[in-house]
Amino acid sequence: MNSSNGNGSMSTASSSGAWDGRDQFPAGLRVLVVDDDPTCLMIFEKMLKTCLYQVTKCNKAETALSVLREHKNGFDIVISDVHMPDMDGFELLKHIDSEMDLPVILISADATKQIVMKGVTYGACDYLIKPVRIETLKNIWQHVVRKKARNTV
Amino acid sequence: MEVGQMQRRLVDYTKSLFMEKGFLDAQFLQLQQLQDESNPDFVVEVVSLFFDDSEKLLNDLTMALDQPNVDFKKVDAHVHQLKGSSSSIGAQRVKNACIAFRSFCEEQNIDATLRCLQQVKQEYYLVKNKLETMLRLEQQIVAAGGSIPMIELGF
Repeated sequence: MNSSNGNGSMSTASSSGAWDGRDQFPAGLRVLVVDDDPTCLMIFEKMLKTCLYQVTKCNKAETALSVLREHKNGFDIVISDVHMPDMDGFELLKHIDSEMDLPVILISADATKQIVMKGVTYGACDYLIKPVRIETLKNIWQHVVRKKARNTV
Repeated sequence: MEVGQMQRRLVDYTKSLFMEKGFLDAQFLQLQQLQDESNPDFVVEVVSLFFDDSEKLLNDLTMALDQPNVDFKKVDAHVHQLKGSSSSIGAQRVKNACIAFRSFCEEQNIDATLRCLQQVKQEYYLVKNKLETMLRLEQQIVAAGGSIPMIELGF
């Protein structure tokens, strides 16, 4: 499953932080996951770590925002639950969009067309329905690459 | 009881939880697959977390529905969370009970929501009981020096 490059060395995230997409397998992708539900947060963390991503977890949108502000360029992608007390996923998404250039994936147990539409129109690069399977998380690196490609045009 | 017998008993028990009764669905298998040597207690830990969290949610729901003026938005928020966590664990019947619950919350139907709460509680305690039994069987096998068999279910 894990492929090393031609030199036989493992791909790891560079210490300067940016994941430049040259690695063959997206190990070290820096993910921030936000969910106020502790069960879901624990499962996401484990799944993301199994994907060999570097995971930071938060149970509050405000905490996530502080972390993102304190570590500019410290993350490649944000995954956030929609329904959270205090600040919800949509508001978090709006803040992230205006302050930083990060792809944001929204997750919810809600699958109504209206709410998915809201997520997409707010600018989420994807909207996943709980329960999320690990196979889906293995593909999230595509959103990072796509966003970078768009930005360089 | 020797290890082989214990393992067969575990396999049969686990299969019945999935196939005959629908207590658990494929998502639970995802959790089992996440467990490895670096995290040998992952399933036990997640399941325990689910139990603690769900019991809190059920208490909050009971209190919220016991108010003179029920705040259905609050009730719905709690049920939504329980739906999310139960579906992430693979507790299918609890999740389904939550889906029904939410539709009655939308209607603001107090009698129906109270019935739904009872239903959700029932399903929760049932699956809790089943999971605890299953985990106990696993512990016995490991204590006797055996390994936990992989369940083939063809989902």
